[in-house]
Parts: sequence; C-alpha cells; structure tokens
Amino acid sequence: MALSVLNVTKRFRDITAVKDLSFKVDRGRILGFLGPNGAGKTTTMRVILGILKPDAGHVSWEGRPLSYWGPALFGYLPEERGLYPKMHMHEHLVFLGQLNGLSSRDAKVRADQWIERLGLGEYRGKRIEELSKGNQQKVQVIGALLHQPKLLILDEPFSGLDPVNTAMLKEVLLEQSQTGCTVVFSSHRMDQVEELCEDIVLIHRGELVLSGNLQRIKSAMGRQILRVALEGRRDFWRRIPGLTLLADRPDYLEFRIDPSLDPNIVLTQALQAGKVIRFELMEPSLDQIFVERVGAGA
Amino acid sequence: MIPVLVKRDFASRVRGMPYVITTVLGVLVFIGLGFAPVLMEYFAAAFAEDTLDILVVDYTGEFLPVLAEVAADSGAEAVRIEAVPVGEESTAFQRVIDEGRDGLLLVDLPEFAFTTLDAANYAQNSRLQNLLDRSLTRLNARNLGLGADELAKLFAAADLQVRQIGAGEDGEEGGDFTSSAVLAYFMIFMIYTCLIMYGNMVASGVAEEKSSRIMEVMIAKVKPTELMFGKILGIGALGLMQFAIWVAAALATNAVRRAGLFGLPFDTGISLGNVQPVLLVWFAVFFILGFFFYASIYAAGGAVVSRVEEVNQVVTILTMLIVVGFIVAFMSFTNPNGRLAVIASLIPFTSPMVMFARLTLGSPPAAQVAASVILLVLAVVCGAWLSGRIYRVGVLLYGKRPTFREILRYMRG
Repeated sequence: MALSVLNVTKRFRDITAVKDLSFKVDRGRILGFLGPNGAGKTTTMRVILGILKPDAGHVSWEGRPLSYWGPALFGYLPEERGLYPKMHMHEHLVFLGQLNGLSSRDAKVRADQWIERLGLGEYRGKRIEELSKGNQQKVQVIGALLHQPKLLILDEPFSGLDPVNTAMLKEVLLEQSQTGCTVVFSSHRMDQVEELCEDIVLIHRGELVLSGNLQRIKSAMGRQILRVALEGRRDFWRRIPGLTLLADRPDYLEFRIDPSLDPNIVLTQALQAGKVIRFELMEPSLDQIFVERVGAGA
Repeated sequence: MIPVLVKRDFASRVRGMPYVITTVLGVLVFIGLGFAPVLMEYFAAAFAEDTLDILVVDYTGEFLPVLAEVAADSGAEAVRIEAVPVGEESTAFQRVIDEGRDGLLLVDLPEFAFTTLDAANYAQNSRLQNLLDRSLTRLNARNLGLGADELAKLFAAADLQVRQIGAGEDGEEGGDFTSSAVLAYFMIFMIYTCLIMYGNMVASGVAEEKSSRIMEVMIAKVKPTELMFGKILGIGALGLMQFAIWVAAALATNAVRRAGLFGLPFDTGISLGNVQPVLLVWFAVFFILGFFFYASIYAAGGAVVSRVEEVNQVVTILTMLIVVGFIVAFMSFTNPNGRLAVIASLIPFTSPMVMFARLTLGSPPAAQVAASVILLVLAVVCGAWLSGRIYRVGVLLYGKRPTFREILRYMRG
C-alpha cells in the first residue's frame, strides 16, 4: 500500500469534520475522492499532508509517516488557489521547485518544459496577476508536479477549466499515474471521476460511505437501472410494483428496478403498451450511486 | 528551505517601487545633511535682507553719532543712516515714500518712534530693535565714563564648556558634542522609521500570503516558523541593504567634503566621522534586535487577519508602542539618566530607541546597558516563539478575526 489513511478523526471544537476514516491507495493508481460539499474532503487532504494534525488515527506512506519522507514526497493543489500575484510566472515556478528541493537549474529546465507543454509559453515572463484564472490554475498544477512527486493530492483540480484544458489535465494525470505517481483528487464532476479513476472513496459528513474499485462497486450494485424507449402508452409502468421512475426524457424513460422484480415482467407490459424500441438493463452511473448514497439534497 | 524563502521575500520587494523610492529619498536626505551647512549658507544668502535704510531725526543730539558708530560696525551694506535736521520731519516722511526708504526714526530718549510703510515686517523691526539696543547701551556706558576696554569686559561672553564624567579621557569631547547629538537624533529617527516601515512590511507580507491563498501551499511544504523567519530575514536583509546604501551615501558625501571638492568646508555640518565607532556598534545592536523583536510581533499580527486591508487595524497598537519609544527617547535627551529614561530603556518595546539615546548622550551605568540588552534578547526569543505559535494557527484561519482570548489560546498551543 502506498498511501494508507487509518482511522483518522479530526474535530474542530464541537464539529467532527472527519470521523474514523480509513482507506488505502495503491502505488500508481488514481483515486477519486468524492463527497458532497462539507463532507470533509479538504480536511482529510490537509490531514494527509500534515497541515492539520488528526485527533486520532494516522496517515502513512509505504508504512512510514509522511513526515519521514519529507515535503518533496508530495505535490499539492489546494482548493483555494493561491500564488504570489506579483511574481513572474517562470520565477514563481522555479521558486516552487526549489521549495520542493530542486536545484535552481533543474527547476528552471523543468519549468520551461512544462510551460511549453501546457501552452503557457507566451506568458513566461508575465506576472501571475496578469494571467487568467485558468492559466493561474495551470501554473499551480505545474507547481505541484514540477519536482516529480510520488504522491499528488489535488483538491478540485478541474474546477474552472475549459474543456480543452480539462482534457489536457486529464492527460497529464493519466501520464503521471503511468509513471508510478499516486494521484488523489477530489471532484464534484462524476463523469470526470468515471473517466479517470479506477478507485473511489466516497465520504459523507466525515464518514466513509463507499470505497474500492469503481467497476466492482458498480457491479456489486447490480444492473438495477432500466432504460425503456417505446412508441405507445408511456405510462404503462405505473401498474408495476418495484419500478421507480428516475427520469422522463423525450426519447426514453429511466427506472430503478427493484431486485425482487423480474425485468421480463416489465418487458411484457411494455410490449403490450406499444412498440418497444429500446430495452436496456444497466449498471448505475457514479452520479446515481452518489445521489443514492448521500441523498439528493447533498 | 529558509534561504529559498529569504531570497524570494528579498527579491520580490527589492525591485518594487516603494523600496526604490524610500532608498533614493534616504540617499538624498543623507547627501542633503552632509551639505546642509553649505546649503543653509546658500539659502541664507539668497534670502538675505536688504540694507536697512532709514532717515533719523535726533532730538537729543547725542544719540545719532553713537548710532552711526554701531551701524558702521555692522557694515555699510547692512545699515544705511541719513540724518535729518530737526524740523524737517514732514518732508522726511515724504522722502521715505518717494525714495523708497525703509522708514523714519525719531529719537527722543528714552523713546524711539519708527514710522514705516512696512510696520508688520517682523525681521526689520527686530533688526532695528537690536541696533538701537546696542547703540543705547554704548551711549549709556560712555555717559557712565566707561572706556572701550571696560566696555569689552562688561560684555564678555561666558565661555561655558560642558564635560561628561567618564567620557572623553582622550580629551576629544567638547566641540563635537552638538553635532554628534544632532546625528544621534537622526539615528534614533532612523531606528524609529525602520521599525515602523519594515514591521509593516512584514505584517502586510504575511497578510498578503494569506489573502492570496498561497499560504496553504507554503504551509504544506514549510514549517510555519520557517515561513515566518524566512519573511523576517528577507525583509531584514532588505532593510540592512537600504541601511548600507544610506551609510555609503553618507560616507561618500563625507569623502567629497574631505577632499574639499566644490570648495566645501569640511569642519561644519553633520558627519558620520563625528560619531564614536562604539556608538555605531550600539546602533547596529539596537537596530537589529529591535527589528527582530518587532518584526516577529508584526508577523503574528499579519497572521491573525484575513485581508491586507485589515492589517492596519491590528498593527496600530504596535506602531503606537514604537511612537512612544521614540518620544521617550527624545525626552531622554534632556535627562538621559532620569527615572523615565531608565525604565523605558529596560522595557523591550521602548529600549531599542531609549537605551540607544542614552548611550549617545553619555555613559549609562554598565549594569543598565547589560540588563537592557539581555532583556531585549530574551524578548526577541520569547516574542519569536509566541509569535510562531500564533502564526501557526493564524495562517490557516480565515474570516472573523480571532479575539484576544483566542489568540492567548493559540499561544498555549
């Protein structure tokens, strides 16, 4: 196990932000860290990085506390983006590289490579405050991985990025994981998590709700989502017990199907109601799992 | 890690406008001080008064000759006197106006009347008053039968020489005393200015890191105390460099004057050469210790606010303490060994300025100097430690400013 979070609890006065949370991440994997707003994601990340001390439990990397490995082990992109506004971009990246133990020469070379790669070349000598929000975010991402950390902790890395830059960042994260870097990132966008992550951890009110391999979680939930498209009476389902309408779209209806209900019964009823164009049993999407587990209000 | 932080804090400010401007202004002030006597002469000449040009009607007959004598002593350019016979007063009035003279003086001892178009000219009135005083004294002395020698004796000036016990074994005090006191004033003023200026720079630097939210990245990588000391040292280095530039400017000014370039006299004015070297060492000691003491408190102040705009509210109390120290230091000049000066020179908040002021004026008891330095060093260590604790908690807190009680809790950790 590369990263191990064990029974971590963090309280702020009378609020318990994280409660007895445990999960593990293998080396080189990408973990999606999910939860509604205020679930304790940022607090957990801060505890992992040692910014906050847990009230109980501990965090380890390869069996030793993170402090043993030193700050160069990880790269961190906090949710609250921040850079020194008056510094020039290239200078700022070199500074962050040096802060993570790079020599000034290495930091300069690598900063140049990344600037080129993420298409920031024309802003090289500009002050940070002159860059757009999206470009500042790219600078900060570079700052987090310039020193080739073994662990990347990214808090909402995609928020505020346009589709082109989102795609670029996904590519970078996949590449980092292929070279052995362990990536933990939080997101509200379930589609991004499904696309990138093999593993997920879902927390709610500071407690673990789900964790493990995304594919296995989905399989374990069963093929409980049913999509039906038909020409005819669309209200045929009302008489069938165990069927809950999730979405009424112009081109199809989406249901959750109770495990006790035989899908064939639904199909029979549908055929009587009209011409069935589509009848598909599916695994739930991460979005649906999320909503189901933490409630629609989250 | 700290060198990287120090370098960043140094490099990001050294190019900044505020730093460049204050440095250049300081250089100009030093050069100006060096040339002050010359400049003052120049301006004095430029604004020199015209000849005092008056008509005099003397009803006594004995005053005018003495007045003319005294006027002649003052120099022909300074005073011009023309006698007007008694009875021609009315035409004399007209002549004052027509010929553009300063006025008409009527002498009828012991009364004098001066009629002028410019009665509100204070400088002119006081010059005339002075002239008449001296003339009247001379006339009276003569009437009392005193000769020129006796007159000189009567008006001999007291030659007061103040000597400090314990100082000047080498017999070098005396004439330097005034100009070195002026320089000491100036050095205290510099401590005062730098404490406020660089203290504020530290506080707003910390607040800036918080408000720009870079703090979280930094704090994940660097210990808060390292971050704090990086900032204090970086800004301290900035201050030292500025200080070095100023001293260099002062020394260069000195050298120019010593070389006698531009025909400037060397023996006048304020010069670093007038200060005993040991005083410069004390200056460095109190300057640096004072800076570290205040800078760590300013850093803690910056750490408890969320935005740069709030910094002023928090650091005002520190600024006030520095101002108090400055005022007490100046008050100490009149009585460097008074109770107020002694107490203030032991309290770390005021000692950097007050003890230095006392040192410039003489030799305070060695025990007091030692106690002052030791207390200040202890305060620097304690201040840094406590501020480090406040800093550690404060830097990640946003929103409402913590109350004093909460700050005390941070200190306990």
